[in-house]
Amino acid sequence: MTAPLSGLDRPYDPADLSSHAFWAGTAADREVVFAELRRDRPVSWHQPVEGPLFDDPEDRGFWAIVRHADLVEVTRRHTDFLSGQGIVFDSMPAELLEAGQGFIALDPPRHTKIRRLLTSAFTPRQMARIQDRIVANARRVVDGIAEKGEVDFVSDVAALVPLHNVCDMVGVPEEHRLTILHEAELVGGWRDAEVMHGQEPLPRLLQATVTMLTIAMELTEQRRSHPEDDLLTALVQAEVDGERLTDAEIASFFNLLMIAGTDTTRQSTSHGMKALTDFPDQRDWLTADLDARLPSAVEEVVRWATPIMTFRRTAARDCELAGQQIAQGDKVVMFYAAANWDTEVFDHPERLDLSRSPNPHVSFGGGGIHHCLGNQLARRQLAATFAELLTRLPDIHVVGEPTYSSGTFFHGVNAMTVRFTPQAR
Amino acid sequence: MRIRHDDARCASLGICETIAPTVFEVAEDGALRLLDPTPDESLRALVDEAVAACPTGALRLVD
Repeated sequence: MTAPLSGLDRPYDPADLSSHAFWAGTAADREVVFAELRRDRPVSWHQPVEGPLFDDPEDRGFWAIVRHADLVEVTRRHTDFLSGQGIVFDSMPAELLEAGQGFIALDPPRHTKIRRLLTSAFTPRQMARIQDRIVANARRVVDGIAEKGEVDFVSDVAALVPLHNVCDMVGVPEEHRLTILHEAELVGGWRDAEVMHGQEPLPRLLQATVTMLTIAMELTEQRRSHPEDDLLTALVQAEVDGERLTDAEIASFFNLLMIAGTDTTRQSTSHGMKALTDFPDQRDWLTADLDARLPSAVEEVVRWATPIMTFRRTAARDCELAGQQIAQGDKVVMFYAAANWDTEVFDHPERLDLSRSPNPHVSFGGGGIHHCLGNQLARRQLAATFAELLTRLPDIHVVGEPTYSSGTFFHGVNAMTVRFTPQAR
Repeated sequence: MRIRHDDARCASLGICETIAPTVFEVAEDGALRLLDPTPDESLRALVDEAVAACPTGALRLVD
């Protein structure tokens, strides 16, 4: 095999996946580019994304993976495509990488051991045990809006249900929850002017990290002296290879759980509400037999939303992928929305089909070792939230256009007004 | 049909459990248990699928 070209000599693909304009556009606009790449150039080399968090002279660009089959392959070749150098496609300063990405940016063997520690809190049996709590949180949130008749769905519903559920599991008391929600949002939202309120991204992100670390450290200290039945206590007491986790490790896992636990399901819930407004026939089909049809509807909402748009890997060695020569150190970026719209796998992906079955979407990952730990939690939350909304506020609908956030990671909705006939709580 | 499970490689992702829940289970302690290490022939297609789907290669079918 001939040696792969280094990132320096390799020509960039003419399709634009890197500009601010591309990421500030709509999902439908991006799909036009993805469709062309899926058809003609499934593994393509692109220039670095515009407006990075900091100037990284080493950053030469990235490979874009857009087909479903190739995304699954990259996910599963975890010894060729590593996570330890970062999982978002912007280069990150080391302190942010360590503080914010937790075990999602670890490779085996350490990943295997840490992941298993946390798995016990997410087993199907444990999920069944907290089901009542998930339903109660959905009810509490809908109670909070029922009398109002018009609210911002993102801040008053979509953000709150996952926040309370993940905080219940990890063991975060009420007084810290809104702070965490606000700070965690910046991690995915730093490219968005509306989220940032004009603040400089890097210093503000570092500040958010410090705020989260401070809360994590305080709670960790409390759990050491007063153990509870929660995930944070499990982390404090855990031993890996005969050693306790360090405070910095625990804080980093805490941050990951908070970010992954709040921001993803929030986006799916918001996109789901918009989809139910835009496709009234599908909504009628769902509500005609809500309990029986919710499971497939939730899968389709998660595909439709694709709450995380990209994850990055880094090539561990020179290797081949779908006929392309990848060089050691190259960034390889997987585009989940592109894979979820792949017509090789999905019949009419542009149609919301709440009865779609099978529905092998990759919104929780392509089945590799970093497959979403919280996938069952997410499914249960979405089912509980939509059951509560559609039963108690049957005419709830989106008014006007949502404002979408600009960024390369979360498929974010900043604000979205909904209106409904007010109900007594 | 006999399943071999390599505990050192297993990350307890539970992908096998979602495919063949009568054969595999991620237990309370986060470790994978084989509920049925010698499943009936009628389960072969499902077990094959579960073994193939394991991203860490922790599962193997012997005879």
